Amino acid sequence: MELLINLTINGLSTGMLIFLLASGLTLIFGLMHVLNFAHGGLFAWGAYAGVWFYSITSSFTVALIGAIIVGALLGFITERLIIRPVYGDVVPQILITLGFMLVISEMLKVVWGPNQIAATVPPALSGSWEIGDVLIIKYRLFIILMGFLVFGIFYYILKRTKIGLIVRAGVINNEMVQALGINIKRVFLLVFMTGAALAALGGALMAPYSGVIYAEMGMDFAILAFIVVVIGGMGSFPGSLFAAILVGLAGSYMAYYVPDLSLAVNMIIMVLVLIFRPQGLFAVKG
Amino acid sequence: MTILLEINDIHTYIEQYHILQGVSFQAKKGEVSVLLGRNGAGKTTTLRTIMGLNPASKGEIIFNGVDITKKPTYEIANMKIGYVPEDQAIFNGLTVEENLRVAMRKEDEAAMERQEYVLNLFPDLKKFWKKDGGYLSGGQKQMLAMARAFVNEAELLLIDEPSKGLAPIIVEKVMEALVEMKKETTIVLVEQNFYMASQIGDTYTLIDDGKTIQSGLMSELIHDNELQHRYLGIG
Amino acid sequence: MGKINLKSVYFWLIVLVFVLFPFVIDSRPMTILLTQIFIFAILAMSYDILLGYTGIVSFGHAMFFGFGAYATSVMLKNIDSSLTVFFLSIIVGMVIAGIVSFLIGLLTLRLQSHFFAMFTLAVSGLFLVLAEKWRSLTQGNDGFTFRAPEIFSDRINFYLFVLFCLVLVFLLLRLFVNSPFGKVLIAVKENETRTKALGYKTIYYKVVSSVVAGVAASLAGSLYVVSLRFVNTSMMAIDVTLNALLMTIIGGVGTLVGPIVGAAIIELAKHNLSILAKTYPIFERWIIFFGIIYILAVIFFPKGVVGTLKEKWEGRKMVRQQAMKQKEDAA
Repeated sequence: MELLINLTINGLSTGMLIFLLASGLTLIFGLMHVLNFAHGGLFAWGAYAGVWFYSITSSFTVALIGAIIVGALLGFITERLIIRPVYGDVVPQILITLGFMLVISEMLKVVWGPNQIAATVPPALSGSWEIGDVLIIKYRLFIILMGFLVFGIFYYILKRTKIGLIVRAGVINNEMVQALGINIKRVFLLVFMTGAALAALGGALMAPYSGVIYAEMGMDFAILAFIVVVIGGMGSFPGSLFAAILVGLAGSYMAYYVPDLSLAVNMIIMVLVLIFRPQGLFAVKG
Repeated sequence: MTILLEINDIHTYIEQYHILQGVSFQAKKGEVSVLLGRNGAGKTTTLRTIMGLNPASKGEIIFNGVDITKKPTYEIANMKIGYVPEDQAIFNGLTVEENLRVAMRKEDEAAMERQEYVLNLFPDLKKFWKKDGGYLSGGQKQMLAMARAFVNEAELLLIDEPSKGLAPIIVEKVMEALVEMKKETTIVLVEQNFYMASQIGDTYTLIDDGKTIQSGLMSELIHDNELQHRYLGIG
Repeated sequence: MGKINLKSVYFWLIVLVFVLFPFVIDSRPMTILLTQIFIFAILAMSYDILLGYTGIVSFGHAMFFGFGAYATSVMLKNIDSSLTVFFLSIIVGMVIAGIVSFLIGLLTLRLQSHFFAMFTLAVSGLFLVLAEKWRSLTQGNDGFTFRAPEIFSDRINFYLFVLFCLVLVFLLLRLFVNSPFGKVLIAVKENETRTKALGYKTIYYKVVSSVVAGVAASLAGSLYVVSLRFVNTSMMAIDVTLNALLMTIIGGVGTLVGPIVGAAIIELAKHNLSILAKTYPIFERWIIFFGIIYILAVIFFPKGVVGTLKEKWEGRKMVRQQAMKQKEDAA
């Protein structure tokens, strides 16, 4: 029983980190059909920024906020410099975002050096609780709570506010939204910056969880995020949460019970989705 | 009567295809101008070009004395031009209420009154207020699209084939609403249903192969059987 | 007619120059560098089949390269280092690459182009992890060395063999893209919906194109590991895909010659940057430079070196023809 709980907590916390990356990816794609292959780079920048802010201020709150700001700024630069010149041109867009991914990942090495950097869990969140026989690692629980908090906030914004309504409408039909007098490019810039900030937050949360950060970490996580976006349905915010948890849990259980399959399990889920429901489990467009 | 919209010899390409090859017409304030022509003649593209969705490569579009040819779509819409596209482009997945709210520029008292007025034109919509727009019938979708274009004060409405695919009794309803809307605003209407076009149109413009063939008063066209036969396949 | 002959005369003349090269200039480093260029030219050409001729973006080319690399190194190490095993291993790598690219294509090529890019990235990422975890076979990131077939211990022999492969692949791919099949591919690239409307099963054409590209990339991988006599997981990493992309884009997409030129430019640049890096460490981060050049090329120079030259040349030819016609008219 305690094993199952622990595996579930592991899976959920990994799932939440993937969710933070995938949710931005899915909304950016949904709104403007831009698939941002640089998203993993933003995640890595968030991790480095978080560790750096933590090392100079010793405040984890400042570290997270700092990472979010760095993410949003990088998002602004990415959208203006990289995405905007090739709007609507699918092939160059895919090519250019991957190129940018490699440039910003490599930049990390210029700024912080090519070696791995250790990241520590802040004292308030380190250690674990013992409940009966179950040992719950505090930081993992914290990640899960943060994940649900972020989901809650953005779910509220999407469902209850005007800007959220516009984003949802834009995902369904961005041309019609413009014909109703809305400057979709401005909305898109905002969504892009928000997505980048979420990715950076994910990176900053990831750093103490894995203990070390390195420049290539973005690509490893981005691949999981892409899998999640396909499974959840491109453009679906709730879909990205569901699929991220699915991928996180499947990975965690498999790693314990059938270690040989743990690699393949995400692939198998994705292949099944592509065969039977290529629009994803939570399709946005009918 | 003053001219609200003036289209001068516009040319539009979609990818490499030269779709509009010289369309010109004028819409006078308070009138209904109908664009007529066969399928593929370029009527829909004309409306899309006015909206800036397929920008013109040549020619000019003057609205209220302002050149809007090169303006982005959202600015054109914000000059109080409402657009009802051919496929209605309802936001499936949003409720009827949300579909209207996306369009509303402000959500103040005046806007709510306006919404009330529009809903009185299309009482059906009230019944499905909290329902997903995707579940509406074809006629209801058409009404929602028209309501959405009219929920802000509009000086000009561009309406693309509102009768398409609808049962005659629903077409009747749509027509009644159009007659009401006509009292308030200027309309450019694309319509294949000649009966409907002739009932509410004041002027007509015939488009064929992406070019304007002829413009004139609807009352004259009604009696010109030869023209009707040649370009509309009627009679 | 005279023009076509002239072109192929030039072509064989260039081939002849490269065949004679190592006998005239006896420089081991130069021979090795040229061998590398030829190998990457094969990889880049295979990428061009996808990007330049079919208009699809793959981020998994490293995986196909890796299939060839591992098939050859594992077989040469575990069976024996004979020439027969080497040729067999090339075929094994190609078959694996063919099957995987076929399956991926079948799954994703009927969807939006984003899916293919994403899916190939994900699958190649997973194969990379697999190569890292399957240590008994691959020894992970440490990799392993092995003996190459005896005949290749002379660098010139290997150089000539790689050159032969390059010429063969180039001729075969040119035959492929100039065939009626290739014409349909270009039509798919220009406008897939219209090609579909004309009655072509575009998915079939796209899948075949991705298989051809995958198989050719695998050959490049097989040759590459023999040139190093070493294999590790870095040969499946995303950098390999980036290399192919960079060479294709800088050289010129949709030209086949472009990727060869691109491979030469990039490999020479890398060679010189690594020398520079000894004095200026900033050049160790050469990915930044290439990445920025690549981004700028996508935005401002999308036709690449060969594409742009070709355009200029054809433009001039047209001017010349017009001038000649005017002269004739005047006379």
